[in-house]
Amino acid sequence: MSLMPADAGTWQQRVEYNPDTRQLHKQSSKNFMAKYALGLDIGGTFTDIVVYDQQGAASYSHKELTTPDAPHLGVVSGIKRLFEGEQLACEDVTRVVHATTLFTNALIERKGAMTGLITTQGFRDTLEMRREHKYELYDLFIELPEPLVPRRLRLEVPERIGPAGAIELPLDEAALLARVRDLVLQGAQSLAVTFLHAYANPQHERQAAQLIAKAFPRLPISISSDVSPQIREYERTSTTVVNAYIKPLAESYLDLLASEIAKLGITAPLYMMLSNGGLTHIAEAKRVPVQLLESGPAAGALAGALFGRRSKINDVLAFDMGGTTAKLAMVQDGAPLIAYQFEASRAKRFAEGSGLPINISTIELIEIGAGGGSIAEIDSLGLLKVGPRSAGAAPGPACYGRGGVHPTVTDANLVLGFLDPATFAGGTMTIDRARAEASIKPLADKSGLSTAELAWGIHSVVNENMAAAARVHVAERGHHASEFALLATGGGGPLHACEVARRLGISKVICPPSAGVASALGLLMAPARVDRVTTLARKLSELDWPAFERAFRAIEHEAHDVISKTITGSKVTVERGADLRFVGQGFELVTTLPRGPYTAKSLAGIRAAFLAEYKRIFQQVPPVGAIEIINIRVALTAPIGRADLKVEGGKGTAAKALKGKRTAWRADRAKFGEMPVYDRYRLPVGSGIKGPAIIEEPSATMMVPAGARARIDRAGNLLVDLAK
Amino acid sequence: MAKSKFNAVTLEMLWTRLISITDEAAAALVRTSFSTVVRESNDFACVLTDEKGLSLAQATDSIPSFIGTVPRTIRHFLKDYPPSALKPGDILITNDIWLGTGHLPDITVAKPIFHNRKLVGFAGSVAHSPDIGGRIRSPDARDVYEEGLQIPVMKAMNGGKIDATLERIIRKNVRVPDQVMGDLYAQFTALTLMEHRVMSLLKEHKLASLAELGREIHTRSEKAMRAAIRAVPNGVYRQTALSDGISEPIKLEMELTVKDDTIEIDFTGTAPQVMRAINVCMAYTIAYTSFGVKAVLAPHIPNNEGVLRPIKIKAPYGSIANSKPPAAGGARALIGHFFPMMVIQALSQALPERVIATVGSPLWCINASGHRPDGSPFASLFFTNGGYGAAHGRDGAQVLSWPSNVSSTPVEMIEQLSPLKVHYRRLRTDSGGAGEFRGGNGQEILFESRAAGPITVAFLAERTRTETAPAGLAGGAAGACGELIINGEPVNPKSQHYIEAGGTVLIRTPAGGGYGSAAKRDKDRSAADRADGYVS
Repeated sequence: MSLMPADAGTWQQRVEYNPDTRQLHKQSSKNFMAKYALGLDIGGTFTDIVVYDQQGAASYSHKELTTPDAPHLGVVSGIKRLFEGEQLACEDVTRVVHATTLFTNALIERKGAMTGLITTQGFRDTLEMRREHKYELYDLFIELPEPLVPRRLRLEVPERIGPAGAIELPLDEAALLARVRDLVLQGAQSLAVTFLHAYANPQHERQAAQLIAKAFPRLPISISSDVSPQIREYERTSTTVVNAYIKPLAESYLDLLASEIAKLGITAPLYMMLSNGGLTHIAEAKRVPVQLLESGPAAGALAGALFGRRSKINDVLAFDMGGTTAKLAMVQDGAPLIAYQFEASRAKRFAEGSGLPINISTIELIEIGAGGGSIAEIDSLGLLKVGPRSAGAAPGPACYGRGGVHPTVTDANLVLGFLDPATFAGGTMTIDRARAEASIKPLADKSGLSTAELAWGIHSVVNENMAAAARVHVAERGHHASEFALLATGGGGPLHACEVARRLGISKVICPPSAGVASALGLLMAPARVDRVTTLARKLSELDWPAFERAFRAIEHEAHDVISKTITGSKVTVERGADLRFVGQGFELVTTLPRGPYTAKSLAGIRAAFLAEYKRIFQQVPPVGAIEIINIRVALTAPIGRADLKVEGGKGTAAKALKGKRTAWRADRAKFGEMPVYDRYRLPVGSGIKGPAIIEEPSATMMVPAGARARIDRAGNLLVDLAK
Repeated sequence: MAKSKFNAVTLEMLWTRLISITDEAAAALVRTSFSTVVRESNDFACVLTDEKGLSLAQATDSIPSFIGTVPRTIRHFLKDYPPSALKPGDILITNDIWLGTGHLPDITVAKPIFHNRKLVGFAGSVAHSPDIGGRIRSPDARDVYEEGLQIPVMKAMNGGKIDATLERIIRKNVRVPDQVMGDLYAQFTALTLMEHRVMSLLKEHKLASLAELGREIHTRSEKAMRAAIRAVPNGVYRQTALSDGISEPIKLEMELTVKDDTIEIDFTGTAPQVMRAINVCMAYTIAYTSFGVKAVLAPHIPNNEGVLRPIKIKAPYGSIANSKPPAAGGARALIGHFFPMMVIQALSQALPERVIATVGSPLWCINASGHRPDGSPFASLFFTNGGYGAAHGRDGAQVLSWPSNVSSTPVEMIEQLSPLKVHYRRLRTDSGGAGEFRGGNGQEILFESRAAGPITVAFLAERTRTETAPAGLAGGAAGACGELIINGEPVNPKSQHYIEAGGTVLIRTPAGGGYGSAAKRDKDRSAADRADGYVS
């Protein structure tokens, strides 16, 4: 988002595509019977406020600068500004949905609570020893993530549970309380408890939690069997500790936000977006806040899925390119893919394996060090490298004239004529082409190319970087990128999308309307969702089927409890899954299972589901018989509200939408040429635009390459067809 | 030299694409292989070479064992099968330890890539097979014949058809034939993926061959490597290391000569090969030795032929660093993992601030087999690691896999999979070498057998003698040496042992060396060490 200047202030935007209909929309917004859904998405730079009018199927949005030290202030002033500007009434809001990067940031900046950890005797170092693996082979000075809890705050108590859940050594209650007292005296403000094999039997952890709560009633406690009851002690401990680390912050912040919103006269329930793209109620969010870490990106991926579906395209790569990073999420059959582990707070940004493992279901997503601020340089091999180093928002690209001297992707795009200084960031800031050229020239001289050729080089290299990351990511999940459409959002997404798509063999690019606030709209389309997991670790052939069914029912019951407190009267869908593997393998494949209830007769169906999924991902099924079931999972979802969005195209002809012509780089001819520039929101539905062409909207620019055709479809999406 | 047709941009994109092709193939191999060694330890490599077998790109995550080995094997293939004997759909194979990577489980395969009917390059891959017959992994084997099946250089696929005789022979010789063949097919899949991607790359960029691109990659990499070497003062740097050996320590000698923009490393003086499976073939010596050079001088240059050109590595034939047939090599890591550390120690004389003190490596491994209380058999293999060396300005990490990259097995998994109870797994207080910057602590793990009867245990374990402890640097103290204790008594780590139910095995892995004089350690750091119990 650094394409948006940090001091650009705030502005409001309606998702109304034809200026002629503006009055009409405004009137409907003040409809007496109005019912609004309110979305609040706090990002690093901006807080997006979006209101969705359920009757008019229209939406209103506003961008407010994020107030990092007291995020609720930006939310409150943003809501006020939008509601006053659009003359909306707070009491007409029927639900509020919130996503935030606050907790992720607290983790990255290590601003969480001083946390203590209690473990089984002999295992306090699990958190620090990790899995002994390096994320980078050649770096002798490799930076490993510092454990969130220093060793002095990790204490042990005598207790032991066996791998099958049997109690081998009772919990030493006196020792437990003495250790907790020690931690509190050392200043611990939050506590995590992880006992060995607690996934198999949570009794000792629960007993410990009760004892501690009684003796230290104000100390927040997180126990591993509650947060992430899954085998593998390091990952479980890491997840539980992160939960404890952000829990005090989550409790105070969410209470404060809820009361501030209530003060505005909004009495509707407040829901939190979870990392997995579902919603939950505040009490659950406060109980296990580690579920909220990726709530912002999850909303973005949901929006990607939504806009794809609106054009009847169900398999998309949602590609969001901002100022410092590009994010990529895979959407299949209209829904974002879910992962069951991710990493937070990486010691080395973009390096997989350098972060803290979190075993919580989340939207599958990769982050690539490629954005408008990515810096270009010539390396020791004489090659042009772009990123991951970024000029960020400050000092920003050289063309901002704020002290940045390194050439960035944005500078290259300006030199190439892809960006218009007059309309950049909605015309709210000036950018200087001469500075951009001056920053690129030294690199051009060094490599014997013209400034324009090198600028095109920067544009191309950053595209290749994004394509390379996407290619491997998609391959790891058993797909080919060419099976997807590319859905571009973010300030830089539409600018780079067609070239990235071409490199991936993708022939269709989708650019949703108002890409800038699409992610906040995603919030309002999300269902309520509760995921639960527990470890079994049994051979499939040796299952006690009644016990197996009971285990599923138990976690379903628990999940149902939470979802019924989130939403009532909505149809709940239950999906069962399991982490399965062939005996002897070191990792599991999460498989969606046939519907229950299960009896011994279900064996064949479960086995077949696993084999089919295995074959899909890995192409071949190893000739081995025995299958193990490590974890079982349930996901309960229930829709909250409906979500149509009426988007109208411009009236008249494409010619009416033509704003003028601009000189820009034509890659097909390797020289500058004149290109027509269109106003996206004046383009009527259906009429085709032949590339090369530039299609602009206030927050983004779409480059349509030579040979491609672009059109606005009935859903309001801009579709580009790259097929030859 | 004629002006290159590539510039900073076109070369960057083509090179990124080549590396991305090998990374994509690596992802496919990991997905399709059955072996946990491949999956959990990245014990494989995917490589692209030009038509002469000179490497162009190697997958980013492959472990150091394979630097340069696949291209070398491909050049051996070319001796038996010149281009005229190759056609599309052929796949060559061998696990010959002297032509390959130094131990039999690593199977190397390569597929010629054709463009306009001309041989333009090879897609190559090596992966650690789930089994290769012979003795179960242990340093006990006396010669290579005890270690399993040897596959000579031959075609596994001929014009797209599997050699049925070879398949039958492999199936007959391994314990898990379906898995072994499954993994081989996974390698074939990765080769075919690389082949297709290269063919479309050539077409897309209108290149007739990879030759010019290869030349450019090699020239630039070589130039960058030479520039990195030139920054090291000329001189002869000698380094000796002692490994535990079998019954007495084995001496390893290295002479590293920096002359302008070249490095020559000579292992003359190193002990002769032994009648156990810890001998190292030249390919493995070259791989791990060049890894040491690269890690210190040029960690960021991608792996290819050009990087290796300025580095000459020699070792006397018949020494433990350049074994001759029929020497066994199954546990070659126990010696080979010393080599990069020796390079680092040697270079520390010239560049003390760009290196680390000695690491508590090689990796340790515990192989346990027997019967569970219910009578069912079990056989389990667990890995664990020592402390990392300190460096100028930073303490060594507590327990980290180096120079390889093998994850530890979770205690909860160990207890689920085998009748072993782990009483503790914790850092070894006071084990890291003292210094201005402290070496990383090793770890200690106490296992108790809960099996039905006696179980058999074998180990990979090194640096268990005082004289082989990981050395400190610049006045820092050595890290503690490793210890292997069964039922309270120290035992010979190179032999198999039998343990009765209720018996215990205590493993203490070696710790990293310290850096600089301990007297200079910052007082706050010392106080923090004591508060955290890293130091008592």
